[in-house]
Amino acid sequence: MKGLIFCKRTVKEILRDPLSYIFCLGFPIIMLIIMTIVNESIPKQANMTVFQIQNLAPGIAYFGMTFVMLFACIQVSKDRNTALIMRLHASPMKSYDFILGYTLSVIIIALLQLAVTFLASYIVAIVVKGELSIPGMFMSMLSLIPSAIMFISFGMIFGTLVSEKAAPGVCSIIISVVGMIGGIWMDIDNMKGAILNISKWLPFYHGVKASRLMLAGEYSEMIKPLAITIIFMIATYVLAIVIMRIKLNKDTR
Amino acid sequence: MANALEIKELKKEYGSKAAVNKISFDVEEDSLFALLGVNGAGKTTTIKMLTGLANPTSGDAMIFGHSIVNEKELVKTFVNLSPQETSIAPNLSVRENLEFMAGIYGMDKEKTARKTQEMIEMFSLQEVEKDKAKTLSGGWQRKVSIAMALITEPKLLFLDEPTLGLDVLARRELWNVIEKLKKEVTIVLTTHYMEEVEALADKIAIMVSGEVKAIGTLNELIEQTGTKNLEEAFVSIAGKN
Ligand SMILES: Nc1ncnc2c1ncn2[C@@H]1O[C@H](COP(=O)(O)OP(=O)(O)O)[C@@H](O)[C@H]1O
Ligand SMILES: [Mg+2]
Repeated sequence: MKGLIFCKRTVKEILRDPLSYIFCLGFPIIMLIIMTIVNESIPKQANMTVFQIQNLAPGIAYFGMTFVMLFACIQVSKDRNTALIMRLHASPMKSYDFILGYTLSVIIIALLQLAVTFLASYIVAIVVKGELSIPGMFMSMLSLIPSAIMFISFGMIFGTLVSEKAAPGVCSIIISVVGMIGGIWMDIDNMKGAILNISKWLPFYHGVKASRLMLAGEYSEMIKPLAITIIFMIATYVLAIVIMRIKLNKDTR
Repeated sequence: MANALEIKELKKEYGSKAAVNKISFDVEEDSLFALLGVNGAGKTTTIKMLTGLANPTSGDAMIFGHSIVNEKELVKTFVNLSPQETSIAPNLSVRENLEFMAGIYGMDKEKTARKTQEMIEMFSLQEVEKDKAKTLSGGWQRKVSIAMALITEPKLLFLDEPTLGLDVLARRELWNVIEKLKKEVTIVLTTHYMEEVEALADKIAIMVSGEVKAIGTLNELIEQTGTKNLEEAFVSIAGKN
């Protein structure tokens, strides 16, 4: 209940900040347009499929979640820097109230962003005569929710641990890693060796894969990557609660 | 009369430096207790320990019979503060700020609405209740900040330098508000303004470099030091180091 009240206030703060709309609407649409133009200039013989709309849409939707992480991170570290945090720490709020409040409020941004991404992708698909099924897009969106929660948890962890200035830097490391080994911008399955191995030990490759398989309707194939994604989600979420708890037991500033 | 607060040898060290050094004193229920001291005396650190914002290095304090060390979470439910830095959600309106605090302390919808209205009337916030907190002047923000603490129905309320940075008129107005609060709740107030203490306090502790050097009513302190007024009494106590 306290978590919900805290969520309500955070949603208000977010919706009253113009930065939220840039994140939510601007980013995925721009990426989509740029990458589609790139794809149009790749010759068919190259057999590059990652930029084709059925792969690009879930890829960008997933990549967008890393920006939601940055968003959560900024929100948490911003709160830490205001005097309001003294009140909150002196209140009977518990670590899970904070985490629940942040998660629920930021997930609204994540869902909006996913919706915008898939809607824009649908339009792009019509323009480039690609194929996107509407039920597939819904399923793909659903499969991205665990990843969204995982990234929000990462954001809350960094926002709690590092200073407001350093937080975006730390997030950008994760964003680059996801870009490289998530299989969003290149076809990792065909790149044998180290990269594929590293990818398989991290959640990103699996999350992207699950969202693409969901879009394609290949449900039996996607169970494993989705399960891995959910396990990572639970682990990071629990970690976020533990770290917030430690933080609350320390002195406030 | 019963004690709202009993501090026993409370100490806080930052590194090797003691910000608060084994202070002990009691605060009677339904009184206003002033903690008087210059910047850096340890007033804020004392309040932080008593409100669960900082862990004491040693010692303890009982608030209505409950330990701030062993029963921290319980104590938090009936103690609140208005921090030295004005502490409000900037993008929320005055009304929303008040409702937010009531909710955080577990009040239901009906009670939240009732208490919010009560605070708006008590602090005369009607004309600004729809304004975003960040657009208010310092005096209004301070009133909102205190209202946000009071709405949670604390049994003990800490006001950390409530009139710091306010102009004369805003300060006088806030004194009137605090006079009204005295009837509702036990208050511990910190300040470095002598007039404020003279106007409001039932009892005074003078804090110097983390230690309580003298304690008593206004008249007792003046008598103890053989001086004419609080300022002279303060100088004679805080000056001899
Ligand atoms: N978080 C902290 N870390 C290190 N030193 C601190 C911290 N908070 C306060 N201090 C030191 O403790 C002393 C008392 O500070 P404070 O309680 O804020 O005084 P006051 O509120 O009376 O002005 C000061 O010397 C201050 O520098
Ligand atoms: Mg202070």
